[in-house]
Amino acid sequence: MTIKLNEETLTAYVLGELEADQVAAVKEALKANDTARCMVEELRATAKLMGEAGFAEPAIALSEEQREAIHARAEAPGNVVKPPIRRWRPWLAVAATLVVIAGGAMVLLPALSRTRGFVTKGPMWLAEKKMLPPEKQAQVDELVQTMREEGVRREPIQRFFIADVNNPDSNVVPEHIARIAYEQAGAEGVPTADKMKHPAVPSESPAQSSPVPLVETEGLTWKAAAGSPVSPSVSRRGRVSGTERARLGVATDLDLKEAPRQEVQPEAFGYDAGNQITIGQPMPVAAGKSAALEGRMDSVRRLPAPGPPHDDPYQVYWPGHNTESYDSIVENEFKAVTQEPLSTFSIDVDTASYANMRRFLNQGTLPPPDAVRIEELVNYFAYDYAPPRDLEKAPFASHVTVAGCPWTPEHRLVRIGLKGWEIPAGERPPTNLVFLVDVSGSMGPRNKLPLLKEAMKLLAQRLGESDRVAIVVYAGSSGLVLPSTSGDNRQAILGALDRLQSGGSTNGGEGIELAYNVAIANYIEGGVNRVILATDGDFNVGVTNRGDLTRMVEKKAKSGVFLTILGFGMGNVKDATLEELSNKGNGNYAYIDTLKEARKVLVEEMGANLVTIAKDVKIQVEFNPAEVRAYRLIGYENRMLAAEDFNDDTKDAGEIGAGHTVTALYEIVPAGVSFTPRGVDPLKYQQPKPALSETARTGELMTLKLRYKAPDGDKSKLLVFPVVDPGLGYAQAEPDFKFAASVASFGMILRHSKFAGRASFDSVLELAEEGRGEDVHGYRAEFIDLVKKAKRIAAAR
Amino acid sequence: MTQHKLSRPAWIRAALAEFEARLLRYATSITGNADLARDVVQDTFLRLCAADRAKVEGHLAPWLYTVCRNRALDVRKKEGRMNPLAEGQAEALADSAAGPGDVATQKETQRLVMSAMAGLPQDQREACRLKFQDNLSYREISQVMDVSLGTVSNLITRAMSHVRAELGARLDLAREV
Repeated sequence: MTIKLNEETLTAYVLGELEADQVAAVKEALKANDTARCMVEELRATAKLMGEAGFAEPAIALSEEQREAIHARAEAPGNVVKPPIRRWRPWLAVAATLVVIAGGAMVLLPALSRTRGFVTKGPMWLAEKKMLPPEKQAQVDELVQTMREEGVRREPIQRFFIADVNNPDSNVVPEHIARIAYEQAGAEGVPTADKMKHPAVPSESPAQSSPVPLVETEGLTWKAAAGSPVSPSVSRRGRVSGTERARLGVATDLDLKEAPRQEVQPEAFGYDAGNQITIGQPMPVAAGKSAALEGRMDSVRRLPAPGPPHDDPYQVYWPGHNTESYDSIVENEFKAVTQEPLSTFSIDVDTASYANMRRFLNQGTLPPPDAVRIEELVNYFAYDYAPPRDLEKAPFASHVTVAGCPWTPEHRLVRIGLKGWEIPAGERPPTNLVFLVDVSGSMGPRNKLPLLKEAMKLLAQRLGESDRVAIVVYAGSSGLVLPSTSGDNRQAILGALDRLQSGGSTNGGEGIELAYNVAIANYIEGGVNRVILATDGDFNVGVTNRGDLTRMVEKKAKSGVFLTILGFGMGNVKDATLEELSNKGNGNYAYIDTLKEARKVLVEEMGANLVTIAKDVKIQVEFNPAEVRAYRLIGYENRMLAAEDFNDDTKDAGEIGAGHTVTALYEIVPAGVSFTPRGVDPLKYQQPKPALSETARTGELMTLKLRYKAPDGDKSKLLVFPVVDPGLGYAQAEPDFKFAASVASFGMILRHSKFAGRASFDSVLELAEEGRGEDVHGYRAEFIDLVKKAKRIAAAR
Repeated sequence: MTQHKLSRPAWIRAALAEFEARLLRYATSITGNADLARDVVQDTFLRLCAADRAKVEGHLAPWLYTVCRNRALDVRKKEGRMNPLAEGQAEALADSAAGPGDVATQKETQRLVMSAMAGLPQDQREACRLKFQDNLSYREISQVMDVSLGTVSNLITRAMSHVRAELGARLDLAREV
């Protein structure tokens, strides 16, 4: 075993973080390396000093009372939360939901006591709906009564209450429900039952509605309880999977290689019900006042249970704690045209993988290969394809360019480019959107801010030139992170979104003020002017008084700017506040728990006038065996369709929005070039030579077929384009082509693709420079910087 | 079912004895306030009381640190405090400056180390604290801080690099001590 002696390795060595075989390898390597030995000495001394010096803090201790409390709890029997029970008992699920609402599981009560007045009505509702078992209901009623009579002191509720919802015999629950109910009533007057006109929570199938494990629960248990097929362990920040890469230095050179994984679509990794149990159906968008109330009650009933580990910072999952996982991507192989003449896939306009790659590189590490989806890197950039000329024919134009393949010169590279038509300004009302995004610390879990960002990206992709988007954030202080920007400057919008991070406390009031000011300043006569507030509603700094907030919003609404509120997360969503705000602000309020829901709310419903021009867009290419020996689709691994899916209108595929560009690349082995199909012996009884049709002799390289549906249609239309190779070398190709090739080859290098041929960081840079073009927004320049970074990181290993 | 040697109360008591002070320091470094830290640590142990022992045993330290950290971060958010120096740290830094002879040299070195550590970015400081004060492994730190192993390795390497550079020639002296 050989090992690279760099500072990181040596540090790990000194600190005893290496495996035995690595230690041996380091020792061996040190013998021949004086400098490294010297560094080891220094590191040892430094470690010793750092261990001794520490941070020089005075020792402090718990108070006697605190210690007593702990000991008392330790002695108390029956406080261990039992594993979740599968059997569905409605009141338990309700209780679970309520406990969640009541401040994000029981441990959040401190928050609750500090923001009194924002306490949700969940427990009230439970008590009022008589959803508790009779004996508990009686207890609650009695307790509330007692509290009222005695005017119980408004001191914080016991800091922690460990509600064992799986144990109906636990007498903790009624007490706290009663307490919260009492507090709530004190703060807001006693709500009457007729406001709560919902019938009992419907029973759901057990899988959907397993009672919620509230305290420590294994991720695995969770998975089982939720019946989830997907791993719950995708972290918002964490990278290393505890189990997958159990030990530092599995890789010899300490580069901490990620195990084969693949970044999964947000939907797939479980913003969806897989990880997050939604009780009942996703909440419909509440439109208008009464619907908003309905919606609030709905969301009270349907708030997701505490989901995967990281949604609830208090959930500690052990051991397989906190991982970001990527399913492995099996790279598309070359296919012999004689065997598989058809290649079929769905378009993909996602770009998440690019941002992810950028994050890794900016952190000074190469992204794990399976986090790199080449088609998403390529599609991150807009290419200069001409829009369609005749809209009668198709809502998008397709462009195919063929030139030499830069990384394997004897191969050809085919670029398929689609360009959706731009709806001329004036044909739909322009939209002026100001996103007001809560970036306080509580928005960190990935079902909040990260989900919002994904949702906003979906929306941003629908915006056109005449639309305007601004982003205001608020936390401890508020600020404009994206001044009102034209909707066609998608990169600026997406860039601003990527930069959003959570941190700080929440000053909602100030943010609302600023957002309205931006919206008013960019007011579009006759257009849609809207502030979209995305928050978990936990306003805790500045104007937190609900009355003041609603008065402010009410006043602002007179300006003609509408308010949409998107509630996120479940821990401390302050439903009532949000609902009331949206009512006063001429708006609606929706609760977003999954990307699907976000798409529905932000794109399909609110963005009804933000245009999708075609849906279920599929591409099928038929290669001509007379010209092409083999082909390989670059990327799109998880967008592949079966050949017969192409004509099957029930099979979903990607959408294309106004002005969108979509790019796909094929690497082709021309007929005259040798190619050995992988892994299969020649057939004994068949000649692989196909009988060629007349058309095969026309010199056509391939035929591009596209199927799409009108946005409101359910029958697909077919477009067919024959493609001829004009025989360009890649040097003669247009700059955009070179740039796309550069991005693809960079992706292949990062993926350690066996097809990368001669591609190197230098060749990537060269192509990118040649293909840089005008680069108005500087995104190509950023790409070039990233390649340089990657090169440096790789060289440092 | 795992057989536990200690009774549950005794187990909690032992954990409290072992980790109380360490967790308090850690929580203080996050909340910046000893009283808040006490609340956080109390909460942490109360949660331990409610935890499934079988699942915690064997991971007690990282379990406690993780819970403590999450609680502390939440408290810090609620209190609107951002990353202050831990209480008493400034005084400690000032106090340790003087002393006669060898002790002075030692103290001076120590002071340098402390000030170098105090000057680290927050994430490096936290990783160092967990590594050098609390003796957690990279693996455990990555779990507690919710970052990758690679990140931990990187944070520690950079932090030590910084401290090493700050110490400069003094390292030779220290080595001989």
